[in-house]
Amino acid sequence: MSKAATFLNSQVGRKIATGVTGFGLVLFIIVHLLGNLAYFAGAEAINTYSHTLHQLGPLLWIVRLGLLLFFVYHAWLGISIWLERRKARPDKYEMYASRGGASRQSWSSSSMILTGILLLLFVITHLNTFAFHDFEKAIHGGVEMHDVHARLSEVFAQPIYTIYYVVIMVLLGMHLRHGVWSAFQSLGWMSSKTNPIIYSIAFVLALIIAAGFIGLPLSIYFELV
Amino acid sequence: MSDQTMTIHLKIWRQKDKNSPGKLVDYTVDDANPDMSFLELLDWLNERLMNEGREPVEFDHDCREGICGSCNLVLNGMAHGPMQGTAVCQLHMRKYKDGDTIVVEPWRARAFPHIKDLVVDRSALDRIMAAGGYISVNTGAPADANAIPINKYDADLAFDYAACIGCGACVAACPNSSASLFTGAKIAQLAHLPQGHPERKKRVVSMVDKMADEGFGDCSNYAECEAVCPAEISITSIAEMRREYFKALSEIE
Ligand code: HEM
Ligand code: SF4
Ligand code: FES
Repeated sequence: MSKAATFLNSQVGRKIATGVTGFGLVLFIIVHLLGNLAYFAGAEAINTYSHTLHQLGPLLWIVRLGLLLFFVYHAWLGISIWLERRKARPDKYEMYASRGGASRQSWSSSSMILTGILLLLFVITHLNTFAFHDFEKAIHGGVEMHDVHARLSEVFAQPIYTIYYVVIMVLLGMHLRHGVWSAFQSLGWMSSKTNPIIYSIAFVLALIIAAGFIGLPLSIYFELV
Repeated sequence: MSDQTMTIHLKIWRQKDKNSPGKLVDYTVDDANPDMSFLELLDWLNERLMNEGREPVEFDHDCREGICGSCNLVLNGMAHGPMQGTAVCQLHMRKYKDGDTIVVEPWRARAFPHIKDLVVDRSALDRIMAAGGYISVNTGAPADANAIPINKYDADLAFDYAACIGCGACVAACPNSSASLFTGAKIAQLAHLPQGHPERKKRVVSMVDKMADEGFGDCSNYAECEAVCPAEISITSIAEMRREYFKALSEIE
């Protein structure tokens, strides 16, 4: 095996890869969240934002490909860690309990595989709803572009979609509550002093991200914008 | 000894050997003393069982003072029982209430094959140690104790990590059965000492490989290991192990 393959297959390498891909995905969703804010500035703002991204051409494709690789690799690592775990304890405890204290076992950390798989399925439906959609055209400043604004308004006028997105974003927040802290520990960026600080930062970040993503569908549904 | 007595209900995992099915068996000790340690409660029970001509409950123990790492019982789902920083041999019955029920199980992990009742084979931990948890020194006259200067910060950290007693509770409590805390403690200890430096890279690579070979799971950063560790080893040792591994890239084949 090559050096890189040996590294990535080791237990430490797998964690470092989970952390790096996890951080990469977090970076992406933060940019995505900021992009969404353009909706609040009106149809022209969000349509032009989307149009500008599409004008990037090859660069956009490189970013998309990178994102896809990160996403698939991250999901594969998460699933394989979970499969290893099942093998590592064939006989279960009759009774199992967390000691509390220093433990980071919580509703968030214990459901990483579940929230992760639901996010994976969600992303497929999400791309289908917004990326592969045959958009209406809008004209801003003489340029014809996809009417993303109209699509968003149409989708989130429906209670089903609005509820679906709100639920999934709560799950994303749960994934990141443990995930962000965990990624620091996976990359070795942790000391006894920073541990509680990073754990709190992870909570705040997860909350901001989830609330941010919930804000748009709710605002549209309740006609606040 | 206290002259109070208390009744304790036990549900103990009994299993003849690796290949026989095991099950929880109910026992009641109605004259337990609050000053008994948990292991003494088991001794007390075993004496009764032997007097009645029944098989005593097998369990591991040696020092009974929290330093050897032999005792390994999961009480009500927690490795070493409910007390922080305490090996189960140092747990006393006064921590329980009269009439309490305690479920007693062995460490459970693929890497710790079952032997009998509450006894498992923890030699996988020794093999991780043998893979690199040592320093090589030339024989000859002992070196002068203070010949190598070590700053207090590193000396203190190394000492904290060296406190591991090799009990395996970290593995037992980990939802993934990972040995990262045990392995990380040794790697981090030696990484803070000049004596550990010559073999630093080789050590981390072979010890980490050995963990996987022995069938321990991956770490998901649950930190349950730190919560149950009788030596209160911090998961910072695991973060240090990851940094060490990254620095050892040149040693990876
Ligand atoms: C929006 C997408 C996602 C983001 C932002 C994200 C973020 C993260 C982060 C930051 C971590 C912590 C990494 C570490 O502990 O080193 C993590 C861990 C994890 N992720 Fe994701 N993730 C996403 C999608 C997914 C998907 C699609 C799956 C799976 C099917 C998944 C499964 C997991 C699992 C199981 C873990 C825990 C790994 C472990 O046991 O150590 N995630 N994620
Ligand atoms: S790290 Fe703690 S729990 Fe793990 S073997 Fe060492 S003393 Fe036991
Ligand atoms: S018997 Fe030695 S630590 Fe418990």
